Amino acid sequence: MGKSARFCTALLGVVLSLSVSACGGGGGSGSDDGEITLSYAVWDKNQKAVMEKLGREFSASHPGVTVKVQLTPWADYWSKLKTVATGGSAPDVFWMNGPNFQLYASNGVIRPLDKEIAADKVNLSVYPQALVDLYTYENKVYGLPKDMDTIGVWYNKKLFDAAGVKPPADDWTWADFRTAAGKLTDPAKGIYGAAAQLTSFQEYQYNTIAQAGGYVISPDGRKSGYDDPRTVEGLRFWTDLIEKNQSPDLKTMTDTAPLQLFEAGKIAMYWGGSWNAGEFSANEYTKDKVEVAPLPKGEKRATIIHGVANVVSAKTAHPKEAWQFVEFLGSKKAALALGKSGPLPAHDGTQQAWLDTYPQFRLQTFLDSLDYAVPFPVSKNTAAWNEAELTHLTKAWTGEQPVGEASAALASAMNDLLAKE
Amino acid sequence: MAEARSSAVPPQPDRSGPRPGRRRSRSHLGVHAVLIPASLVMVAPFVWQLITSLKTLSSATRVPPSLLPEGRWENYRQVFQLLPFGDQFLNTTLMAAGRTAGQVLLCPLAAYAFARLRFPGREVLFGLFLSVLMVPPQLFIIPQYQIMASLGWLNTLQALIVPGMFSAFGVFLLRQFFLGLPPELEEAARLDGAGPLRIYWFIMLPLARPGVIALSVLALLWSWNDLFWPLVVNTDPEQMTLSAGLSALQGQFQTDYPVLMAGSLLASLPVIAAFALLQRQFIQGIAHTGVKG
Amino acid sequence: MTLTSRPGGRPRRRPRRDRVTEALWGYAFIAPAGLGLAVFYLWPVVRTGYFSFTEWGAFGGHTWSGLDNYHRLLSDPEVGRSLVNTLAYTALGLIAIPLAVVFAALLNRDGLRGAGIYRTLFFLPVVTMPVAVAMIWRWLYNGDYGLINHVLAQVGIDGPNWIADPDTALFALVVVGIWSSLGYNLVIFLAGMQAIPKEYYDAAAIDGAGPVRQFFRITLPLLSPTAFFVSIISVIGSLQLFDLVYVLAGSGQTARANPAFPRMETVVQLFHDRAFATNDRGYGAAIVMMLLVLIIALTALQFRLQKRWVHYG
Repeated sequence: MGKSARFCTALLGVVLSLSVSACGGGGGSGSDDGEITLSYAVWDKNQKAVMEKLGREFSASHPGVTVKVQLTPWADYWSKLKTVATGGSAPDVFWMNGPNFQLYASNGVIRPLDKEIAADKVNLSVYPQALVDLYTYENKVYGLPKDMDTIGVWYNKKLFDAAGVKPPADDWTWADFRTAAGKLTDPAKGIYGAAAQLTSFQEYQYNTIAQAGGYVISPDGRKSGYDDPRTVEGLRFWTDLIEKNQSPDLKTMTDTAPLQLFEAGKIAMYWGGSWNAGEFSANEYTKDKVEVAPLPKGEKRATIIHGVANVVSAKTAHPKEAWQFVEFLGSKKAALALGKSGPLPAHDGTQQAWLDTYPQFRLQTFLDSLDYAVPFPVSKNTAAWNEAELTHLTKAWTGEQPVGEASAALASAMNDLLAKE
Repeated sequence: MAEARSSAVPPQPDRSGPRPGRRRSRSHLGVHAVLIPASLVMVAPFVWQLITSLKTLSSATRVPPSLLPEGRWENYRQVFQLLPFGDQFLNTTLMAAGRTAGQVLLCPLAAYAFARLRFPGREVLFGLFLSVLMVPPQLFIIPQYQIMASLGWLNTLQALIVPGMFSAFGVFLLRQFFLGLPPELEEAARLDGAGPLRIYWFIMLPLARPGVIALSVLALLWSWNDLFWPLVVNTDPEQMTLSAGLSALQGQFQTDYPVLMAGSLLASLPVIAAFALLQRQFIQGIAHTGVKG
Repeated sequence: MTLTSRPGGRPRRRPRRDRVTEALWGYAFIAPAGLGLAVFYLWPVVRTGYFSFTEWGAFGGHTWSGLDNYHRLLSDPEVGRSLVNTLAYTALGLIAIPLAVVFAALLNRDGLRGAGIYRTLFFLPVVTMPVAVAMIWRWLYNGDYGLINHVLAQVGIDGPNWIADPDTALFALVVVGIWSSLGYNLVIFLAGMQAIPKEYYDAAAIDGAGPVRQFFRITLPLLSPTAFFVSIISVIGSLQLFDLVYVLAGSGQTARANPAFPRMETVVQLFHDRAFATNDRGYGAAIVMMLLVLIIALTALQFRLQKRWVHYG
């Protein structure tokens, strides 16, 4: 049997050496010889560079710690984060948003930061209160706001001129908006008056719902607002536009995203965020053709405010360094760097840097709208009813179901989900 | 009869000129009249992909579309900028090579044993191997993922490679091959006192070479194009494969088609180039899967 | 596919010691592949079976929940519609088989010029990454700027938004599926045709049978075992459709905002969504168990039906 035993050993050796050599190629986030690597997950390609720069700055002041920025596109970010968090290997520090926050906090996936905040005497009042509240769960703060965003109407000056429409006034109303949308629409050239990204509620119906005086979720987070007639008015704002062909219908927007339609000069007014400033200033078509105006006034003025926060994984192997990095990212210095090359920073007194970065756009519009900004609606398991919103409202956007019916069905589905929280 | 049908002699997809006793070549006008439009349908999408990849977004959305490319190489630069293309290319290559090496090493060994050696429980064990073949691969994913997680292998190269090194299909394919080889050679070697390992390595394995080549071509192709497993197990962009990276590109650019066309062209180019070089092996490899036992 | 065919036996009895040695060698030979398959494939099947009876928390950890997941399967409209879509896709995809036979027969004509070039062109989609294929077609199918609708416009047809329109989405998927697998099937059929002894055709030619009659009288019947094999493979493949839908319809929120998604969602897509996007692993496990049953049932059905149409020479 000697021969076969030797053979087996040899074979095992081959298999092992294969897998060992494979191991050599893999890059773990292992920390050997006191060198620490913090993984930092982000979703915006436009901000990857500045995040890497901030990581290097952090390393400079914290020798032995390096930051590795992981970019996962928005479309996959949350499902992947959930997967790795389940596997116990969530990135040390990562971006968090409002709709997902409470799920992660309530399941103990992210660390409460109260002790560190108290110990380091971090002043939370430098951030907008709405954002600090957004990342507070059961009276514990879990994240430091990184940036903030409100919504405005990005419009194509060239198309306005061509249609002989005057640029929007700061106090324009829904009626003004509708008139403009009608005039700007040109079916022969495939140009639509207005559009917004349907899958991003923050840019779409949440604004018009608030403007119509409706609400998405009751302040105590127990009841859906989709059966409120004013909420339905906010939805009808969009279905009317679609019916009149002043906005592309859902099918068209599925084939070509509204952002691309806008960047190809096919949409005159695009409801987008303050974060689009970076994108539009870099894009060859939009860089000298677009400008921004406040959202039109309905029953009242409203824009949805939201902001991303940096949070720390509960399972990080380096809680101290991870916190220090989050603290650094929340500092005025980091906010200034952010403002110069990315979105609107959340830290007080750093917004001017952002305004100065894009002097070609009237970005003050976004800061002015903070006065009437409405917080982003969330509950403990926001993702669950977000899916219901898509499922039911899609039927209204396609005209398959009258908007009132779709909204009522959504309200009851959402109430069921809220009851389970 | 079963014996005759199980013969896995490689078919000859390539014809070498007209055979004796057959009619000389004719013009086949009618045949071409069908095949030319059909092959245009096969090729047009690729041509359109190439043309679009060299346009700007605004010219790609012009109506009516222009059929000429515009030389906008910027789209390709964007792909390289946003995908760690070099890393992902290397990951994909190593994954495909590692899986193929594993299969080529392990499958013929087991296949030979199932075909030619006698041992108790052989039929049952082979049945177990075959049962893996019948199960949809998605069934393995959740537990495989957990194994990777518990080994600390998530986001590593070995996670991409190791499970794919074992293939029930490969064992099945090569067993058919060994069954089709004449037993006389083996008998002669056995009478000379050669042991099974020697017979396998020096006599049978070389004879099964066409089958092994077929298996390696298929393993390469399937690993290169695999999406589901890489998508799930490696989420770190530097550790992704090209297929997962490409679907991530769509997540970033939504519907910026010129950039997406540039990315999809780059990602599929290596295997198309390999196909151009090894066309015969590819086609025979596929043909072999159809040789029924 | 004679899965039960027995290897060429050597009838002579040999000494016991020899047989023991041979058996040990046999085990040693299958051990490496066998261990890997056991760890990474067979054990996972058992685990998935077990998981299908458990409920998972949002971030892992599972508890026994009995038949809950299976009850949920029966009442979940999304499961119902993904089953209907998958079965419809599978059935329509079978058109690829006669199509491949016809093209293989054309390519198999003696002395056909450019046969190699044709074969290469038909085969190109087979080697192209499916994700890339789906992306290319997503662009071709674009309702406003796609090449297909542009060509249709030339003849006065106003084409739909193929993959966003519930009426056309499934059809659009089937077309891409056929386009990308035609070359694969074609090569297999070509190999099958070339294995048919030439004497049959010569004899038929002497009897005065033309190419068409030869095709129906000789090629088709002798090719039926190959066709059977291809149909088994394509049905199993179609039932596992994922890549195409994942790219054409998008994933997660993007997919759910597509009005045609209810007509495109497949069983595996639903599995991916539940098991990895919403982390509902237990429910995901139940969904793939259902897929397993479906594959076994349809494969068994095909084996039963083969007696009616497959001729083993």
